[in-house]
Amino acid sequence: MEAMRQEIILGSVFVYLLICIGVGLWAMRRTKSAGDFFVAGRGLGPIIVSMAVFSSTLSGFGFVGGPGLVYATGMSSVWMAVCSALGYATGFYLVSKRIRMIAEVRDTMSLPDVVFARYGSEAARLLTAGTILLGVLGYLATQILAMALVLQSLLAGTDMFADISLFTCVVISSAVLIFYCVTGGIIASVYTDLVQGIVMIISGALVVITAAHVFDGGLAEASNIMLANDGEDIMPFGTLGMMASLTWFFLFGLGLAGQPHVATKMMMNRNLADNRLILPITVFGYVIAAMLWVSVGMVMRALVLGDVSGPLGAPDEAAPMFLSTYAHPLLAGIVFAGLFAAIMSTADSFLNIGAAAIIHDIPKAVRGKSLNNELFWARLAAVGLSVIAAGFALYSYYENDELVALLGAFGWGTFAAALVPVVLVGLNWKQASARAAVVAISASLIINFSAQVFQVKIAYGISAGFLSMLTSLILFIGLSLLEKPKKLPKDIDRIMEL
Amino acid sequence: MKPIHIVFSLLLVIAGITVYILTSEPPANAAGVAHQSLAGIKVGGDGAARLATIGKAPFYFQIAVIFLAASLLYMGVPEHRRDRLFRMLFAGATAYAVFVWVSLFSSYQAYHETGVTDVVFGFPVPTNWFLWGVWSGFVVFDLLYVFAFRRYFLHPEDEQSFRELVAEVKSEQGDV
Repeated sequence: MEAMRQEIILGSVFVYLLICIGVGLWAMRRTKSAGDFFVAGRGLGPIIVSMAVFSSTLSGFGFVGGPGLVYATGMSSVWMAVCSALGYATGFYLVSKRIRMIAEVRDTMSLPDVVFARYGSEAARLLTAGTILLGVLGYLATQILAMALVLQSLLAGTDMFADISLFTCVVISSAVLIFYCVTGGIIASVYTDLVQGIVMIISGALVVITAAHVFDGGLAEASNIMLANDGEDIMPFGTLGMMASLTWFFLFGLGLAGQPHVATKMMMNRNLADNRLILPITVFGYVIAAMLWVSVGMVMRALVLGDVSGPLGAPDEAAPMFLSTYAHPLLAGIVFAGLFAAIMSTADSFLNIGAAAIIHDIPKAVRGKSLNNELFWARLAAVGLSVIAAGFALYSYYENDELVALLGAFGWGTFAAALVPVVLVGLNWKQASARAAVVAISASLIINFSAQVFQVKIAYGISAGFLSMLTSLILFIGLSLLEKPKKLPKDIDRIMEL
Repeated sequence: MKPIHIVFSLLLVIAGITVYILTSEPPANAAGVAHQSLAGIKVGGDGAARLATIGKAPFYFQIAVIFLAASLLYMGVPEHRRDRLFRMLFAGATAYAVFVWVSLFSSYQAYHETGVTDVVFGFPVPTNWFLWGVWSGFVVFDLLYVFAFRRYFLHPEDEQSFRELVAEVKSEQGDV
């Protein structure tokens, strides 16, 4: 079986991509309106929503970037993962119930719709949609580039496709993504998320078991090697130190529920009471899948520090190197399919909310109504966004290697800083004002953009996204406290009592 | 004092600690240094020296963050449902998260002082507090949500009120 390693891996990925296309075709028949396209007609069961929430949270970053960060910096980045229990708690305590109620009462299709319903402000809606669009372009480009690079590395190992170009891989990756997202909209997206989530959980669990058996003494031997070499790397704050780790905990723990691709999924469940099941399944799925992040990075670092293996060319090679050297070919195949699953489940969520921003939210904010025949325009916008993001990805790779990184890094921090005050706090505090929402979103965009454009390095590794989120929260609550409370629309007022 | 005032005060405390840290002189290895021979790998170096200029500020920072998180979560429960039992459960969950953090920090400090630590379940003791403790510290809130869902988070009366609201809105739309 070892001799067939490459074929098995490619076969697994191919089967997975075929499943995605099949789901797209099946979902196309169920997508009859823009409501079906964007929020699946609010008719999804708890298992589907759970898998969709967790798999869109854990992108390709968790499968490639995460292990790479542990390899390079020890345990620091794991703070982004252990905060998941807090992240999902904030999502379900503060967002899931009210956002679902508003969605039903106001027939909302997107997060900017909810923001408008809550604040009655077109400016707040426009800024939310604009923030989403900016973040989506960056995130989508990084996901497409990651998918193309992995595909290229897999195909390059075969005789037939040894010289395949990145351009071709970007085209193949984007084509599959576009096909199932455009045909089936969010229905295809959430049902592929179900497959993707299952693949991610299985691969996460199997990889941890494999990683624990690389050293005869298990993970304890890996820990002892790291303790003997540096020590700080295997300690809770890793090599980046306490403040870098703690500010990531703040940004990722409290910022998760502000991620629009996660919050939007909370509008899609059939029954409000399903949240009771959705939360634990989501937390369980995430923690199993995220164990790959810790175990692979830790073992690869110990192997290199202990002179068992040579240093990697780049930290992001940690997971592929581990899989190609230590994992059974079948497991490697499942994990590579899991990697595609992680990337695509996040990418399709972004494509969906990005398309909603273009054809639904921005026109509504600017001219007071959305476009006619929204379903047609939604599909066209999804194609357009994918093509632009693929263009960004290629331009970045060949011409300007900072562009996608800039937009990608802009993503999570921007969403968290701009949307946590407005959504998380605003849906639970009646005095929160529209003016404060506009100021908080604007301030977070300015701080995040400035930090990225001027490449500001902050002492102690403190995250710029954290500073931006802290500032926007203080501005939002402070300004709202200074204003006289305004009367809310009757339906929103009653929802906020429940 | 309303929960939002506590949230706002805690945000100001966090901002104050952050400013204090940012205005201190960071040691050379504050955010790690490159490994001498292995490209792409960072090392932390002397952990105690990294904290010399800021002392226990990160400890208080995280205490404030835990209370902030708990206060925000508290806001997510309707005011009329927050009974005595709920307050006690919530205080217990918050106390557990603080206990985990104190244990993590003190075991990390002990490692700095002695240079040794036990390896348990594959990881050093402070890292165990981190991996299982920090995560489980907030899983307690998730469990509270699951087991007390109908009592605090979606009470049958509240669900009924929502159904009535939906019916009213639909009938108004029908009238139009």
